[in-house]
Amino acid sequence: MTQKKQRTPEYHVASLVASPILAQLDEVKAVITAVEGAEIHAVSDEGKIVLTVEGTGFKDLDKKIDLIRAHKGILNLSPVYHQVLDEEQEKKLAESDDALSLEIK
Amino acid sequence: MTINRREFIKANAVAAAAAVAGVSVPAVASNLITSSDITKLKWDKAACRFCGTGCSVNVGVMDGKVVATHGDIKSPVNKGLSCVKGYFLSKIMYGKDRLTTPLLRMTNGKYDKEGEFTPISWDQAFNVMAEKANDALKKDGPEALGMFGSGQWTVQEGYAAVKLMKAGFRTNNIDPNARHCMASAVGGFMRTFGIDEPMGCYDDLEAADAFVLWGSNMAEMHPILWTRLTDRRLSAPHVKVAVLSTFEHRSFDLADNGMIFTPQTDLAILNYIANYIIQTGRVNKDFVSKHTNFRLGETDIGYGLRPEHPLEQKAKNNGKTKGSSTPIDFDEYAKFVSTYTVESVSKLSGVPEHKLKELAEMYADPKVKVTSFWTMGFNQHTRGVWANNLVYNIHLLTGKISTPGNSPFSLTGQPSACGTAREVGTFSHRLPADMVVANPKHRAIAEKTWDLPEGTIPPKPGYHAVLQNRMLKDGKLNFYWVQCNNNMQAAANINEEAYPGYRNPKNFIVVSDPYPTVTAQAADLILPTAMWVEKEGVYGNAERRTQSWYQMVEAPTGAKSDLWQLVEFSKRFKVEDVWPEELIAKKPDVRGKTLFDVLYKDSSVGKFPLTEVPEDRLNDESRDFGFYIQKGLFEEYASFGRGHAHDLAPYDRYHKERGLRWPVVNGKETKWRFKEGSDPYCKPGSGWDFYGKPDGRAIIFALPYEPAAESPDEEYDLWLSTGRVLEHWHSGSMTQRVPELYKAMPDALVYMHPDDAKKRNMRRGDLVKLISRRGEVQTRVETRGRNKPPIGLVYMPWFDASRLVNKVTLDATDPLSKETDYKKCAIKIVKV
Repeated sequence: MTQKKQRTPEYHVASLVASPILAQLDEVKAVITAVEGAEIHAVSDEGKIVLTVEGTGFKDLDKKIDLIRAHKGILNLSPVYHQVLDEEQEKKLAESDDALSLEIK
Repeated sequence: MTINRREFIKANAVAAAAAVAGVSVPAVASNLITSSDITKLKWDKAACRFCGTGCSVNVGVMDGKVVATHGDIKSPVNKGLSCVKGYFLSKIMYGKDRLTTPLLRMTNGKYDKEGEFTPISWDQAFNVMAEKANDALKKDGPEALGMFGSGQWTVQEGYAAVKLMKAGFRTNNIDPNARHCMASAVGGFMRTFGIDEPMGCYDDLEAADAFVLWGSNMAEMHPILWTRLTDRRLSAPHVKVAVLSTFEHRSFDLADNGMIFTPQTDLAILNYIANYIIQTGRVNKDFVSKHTNFRLGETDIGYGLRPEHPLEQKAKNNGKTKGSSTPIDFDEYAKFVSTYTVESVSKLSGVPEHKLKELAEMYADPKVKVTSFWTMGFNQHTRGVWANNLVYNIHLLTGKISTPGNSPFSLTGQPSACGTAREVGTFSHRLPADMVVANPKHRAIAEKTWDLPEGTIPPKPGYHAVLQNRMLKDGKLNFYWVQCNNNMQAAANINEEAYPGYRNPKNFIVVSDPYPTVTAQAADLILPTAMWVEKEGVYGNAERRTQSWYQMVEAPTGAKSDLWQLVEFSKRFKVEDVWPEELIAKKPDVRGKTLFDVLYKDSSVGKFPLTEVPEDRLNDESRDFGFYIQKGLFEEYASFGRGHAHDLAPYDRYHKERGLRWPVVNGKETKWRFKEGSDPYCKPGSGWDFYGKPDGRAIIFALPYEPAAESPDEEYDLWLSTGRVLEHWHSGSMTQRVPELYKAMPDALVYMHPDDAKKRNMRRGDLVKLISRRGEVQTRVETRGRNKPPIGLVYMPWFDASRLVNKVTLDATDPLSKETDYKKCAIKIVKV
């Protein structure tokens, strides 16, 4: 039986800090950027990588995080932030704001 | 610039992670994190629901639902980080099968032990419970009543339960599931130091030059502490990490000296290290002569099995003297450990000589600050108290204790095993603040604090966890209430003990849980429970840190917190129902009152008015009972420890702090106990003061290696060790409901060495049966994976309710701590 995947109405974002084995820093960075929805935002002097992973659901997000975590060059992968937005919430928020977009100064 | 909602949330996420990693990111992101009014999220702090590390998390609530979490940057424990379990915290409350109504086994509208679970009201549930409890009381007295609680209870829940059972129903048959994880650590502390809980704190992680992991897979079980350890190891090149285990696991990735030893031989390795320190002349003589005593412990103490078991028949000293010891001097001790040579211990343990020497040298070198960590490898051990005593020996011989980086540190498995189980004293032998029921002075103190007549608390210790299952089976424990744990999955040898006990027709079993766990399904009545931030509470973590949180969301309609359940149930009993006339005569004003009046409302628990609950805060229990019950319970409980080296701050302060480490004296927390200058309880001029013992001296114990209760033989030719995995919290009743955690580690596999598989003609993925003398369980073979057992040993985690490994484990316990050894039994594996 084939299952038709329904479009999930959720948007998930998580940020994480990865501690790689320094000698494998470039390799680890390449692994992260190869994962769809993953993005590197900064690397500290000690080699700690700040990254985000975006996805359409918990499962999707977790699969991506697992792909990164499985790499031998990573000693530690610590999640920091996680938020879910479902369509209903987004709608509510949009209604309570003037517009969906926000002016950031 | 203009960004949309998703970009905005993402920028928040980046800012949070960047702050943790200590890097700067573009200004747009860094200004956003606290603008909660724009995100419509209401943020608040809470202690994490899972392990004993005690991380603080920020919880984001929108429309009455938790939708976001992030590691609390202000927390000194996790400094903004989270682990995989903590990261999915928001999901634990929203499993599809969350229970919302009491369920009673019924046939034709009446309670029937063999009936089907049928929804009933709370009122009906309490009626049937009260009837069954009264029946048991009348028939066999208070000893027929019992409760099995948890190191995941809040401090207030545990305290309310102790009061209800020990003073209300006058039975000491209350024990927490912490018996399965921390009892040996407690025994070790009490025996060596005379006072419970670690002397050091997590600040040791940044101060130590060397770390030794004894039976602790921190990388998976305490990931945040592991992150701190990793940071220390990578930022200070001289730092070394030694890891000991009976199989290779993820913590070995960072090990400079990884050692696989034959199960049970950790006792011999510990004695070898002591011998090495003595032989190489590195005993800290000044410290040892001023601050320690030596004692020779009783040996051949049995394995905590049923008395008729052949091993108990054979043991010489498994009676009352099993915990006794006699004084010896240093020379006698030195002679005692002298037989533990590198050659003999290497042969016994299978660890190469050079690795043993390297480990011993780490401890012996006076210039190296050593922190030892241990968890279940030491505690779930038929000589668990001894293992704890023996590691303290090493730190005491070298004086490497109670100073930054020098720390024998017992890690905790549950979020409030320290706070609720140990400090509150929810054990069958205990009272708050390390007091015990067997001591008449301690009982008198508790009775006075509780304003109850002399003789209320029974002097005999009650049934501990393992004994409770045996007594259920034997029909001696007939009314049994289980809260906040999953013991049908967690207890050893469930086939022969627990299951027959729960289903014994003489017994009525109540299980309170948010989800239909294996234990709930074995019960007669299930009560739906509120969890975590659906209630207000306090947890105490492994470094003596007490943390509180407010209720942030409503529980699903119908679910009620354990605290509400306990206290509401107490309204069903008049004092005359449960106390004998001679006891009531000593305090006639209690006549006609309910246990609710006597234990809670009219005691000091009831003295804080509802007006003290902040108006904008949820607090279902207080608003229902009419007083600030969480504060009242906390303050009354805290009064036991204040002035007795267990001082807690005033309750309200905890809502403002990311926790404080007790003793909190003059408003200041204590980081290192027993060291003058950092612990206000040390006598001036003492240097170190182990004030838990009357003479201020800690004890160095001479204790031998003794074999495990069961070892592989020709028929059952493999060691079985059980344990946990990163993705799941204990029995998985919460985390198995988070789809992505389930997917990451869906089934409990048996990890085995490829050669062992080959020898049995098995391949990776094959369906096999694990068979012991007690039962069998089916699973699949994993020969790769993250755990790599040596030849002769297999490892299987216990989180999987569909593959209950505890059907095969042995219920052998440490005779001193009564904690089960889940790490060693003999099995065979056959292909299905």
